[in-house]
Amino acid sequence: MAKSKPSKKTTGTPPPLEIPEPKFNWMNQSRQWGTRVSPGKSGLTLDSLNVGIYGEVPPRWTDQGRNPRGAIPVKGALPIGYSVTEKIGLWAPMAAELYEEAIQRRWAPATDVPWASIQALPDDVETAICQVCTEIAQYANVDIEVLTNWQHRMSYGYHEVKQFLATASLDAARRYEAFRKRALTNGGGLGLEPMDQVNRFLLESRGGWTETVAGIALVRGLFLSTMCEYLFRHSYNDAERAIYSYVIQDVSRLIAYGVDHLRYCMARDDEKTSTVATMIAIGLGLMARDLRDPVLREALAIVFGGGIAGARREGMSVFLDFLEDFRERHVALRRWLNLPGDAMSMPRAFRPREPRQAR
Amino acid sequence: MSEALCFPSVEWLNAVREVFNTTDSYRGAGGGQCDCTVGLKVDDEVFIVEFEGFGCSSVQTGTDFELGNVDFYIEMPMSQWQDMLENISGNGHAIGEYTLNTIDLGSEEGIAHSKHGDQYRQDLFVRYNQTLQFFFDASHRVDTTFENS
Repeated sequence: MAKSKPSKKTTGTPPPLEIPEPKFNWMNQSRQWGTRVSPGKSGLTLDSLNVGIYGEVPPRWTDQGRNPRGAIPVKGALPIGYSVTEKIGLWAPMAAELYEEAIQRRWAPATDVPWASIQALPDDVETAICQVCTEIAQYANVDIEVLTNWQHRMSYGYHEVKQFLATASLDAARRYEAFRKRALTNGGGLGLEPMDQVNRFLLESRGGWTETVAGIALVRGLFLSTMCEYLFRHSYNDAERAIYSYVIQDVSRLIAYGVDHLRYCMARDDEKTSTVATMIAIGLGLMARDLRDPVLREALAIVFGGGIAGARREGMSVFLDFLEDFRERHVALRRWLNLPGDAMSMPRAFRPREPRQAR
Repeated sequence: MSEALCFPSVEWLNAVREVFNTTDSYRGAGGGQCDCTVGLKVDDEVFIVEFEGFGCSSVQTGTDFELGNVDFYIEMPMSQWQDMLENISGNGHAIGEYTLNTIDLGSEEGIAHSKHGDQYRQDLFVRYNQTLQFFFDASHRVDTTFENS
């Protein structure tokens, strides 16, 4: 048996501690004291704090530390090695607004989704829904990894963007959670891991954040957003409707950041237009290859068609409508960004087909 | 019992605004802060609805020309508005084919448009979709009649 240690506790009143006379010489150290920002109708927002020196966002952030913008930096601190240090490489004028929107319009899958509304579904439909959930959960994993992999390389001088991307990572985590929960709550389970080249393309995009944004927003983001709109329309219960409608809002913020950043960057650097266009062309080409794999295509057709029987005609027709809508939205955004390329320059999978029938 | 209000009218929209602004549940679960100016076009009639912070701050009549100043406008024929609002009235909220999302998707040209072509502002329809849905869902507590009935 181990011997018990003698107690260090002493009895009686402890001797008074010696506290050195405070000098308070850290006080009165501020680059701008007396700042008083008031809340507006949306509360005290991040964007509203950009007053005086605190609102100065320089074109290049040379501080290699974690210094909050506007604070007095430590001298002689070791550099951390941020690589995205220029405003043009990450800035989006609406980043602070999008951050605030993400925080204020949050939702929780555990409590905001009416899970009890899910009833038993035919096996083919449940299996297809579970496969779609598996694919979207995988997309979410990739988003988390891509966003966080770039986030830590960005200078703290552009905290609006870093904070917004933190919410986008959380959005992706929540997306993962919600679709995993849907797959595991109605007698089904997760399906096949997707063979997804777009995932690799996004993960291995090392050239620059701007080029990565083009892939994550205009290729994957827009594809996911459009797919969720179609899934919303063909959902089988209120729980699915809630998930899809919340996810559409979440993803639209990431697309908004992407579009805003691309616009900001390309307006200041002519060469970026061609590199962004190239990245998008590669991304769309890989997405077209991914779509040759039947798993997602057939699963979506079954969901849209109400089962295997309906998938062959109605379901597949809706699937093609979905691709057309994705293409139209993608082309509209390209046009607005003055990016070269139209519908006919896209891979065959996305090109216009015969006029669609009235739905 | 309160008097039935006719859709579309400023009076009807104000009654919906009152319900929307005083119902806490419309601020959570994907709703919340929303800043945008929305046009509503019902056949030839135009209304301008302003959302600020957590509420709807104003509604007023407008003109087709003024739709150029809104972030986006929702355009549907009267019969489609009526179908949507009757669905909301019967269920407490829009279900099935009658949510804004679904109506938009099912329509060849969509129901959310802009005259300025500014993609940011038009995309607010998607970013704030749940709030807009909550706004129209609030109409289930307003006794509604329709112009054509």
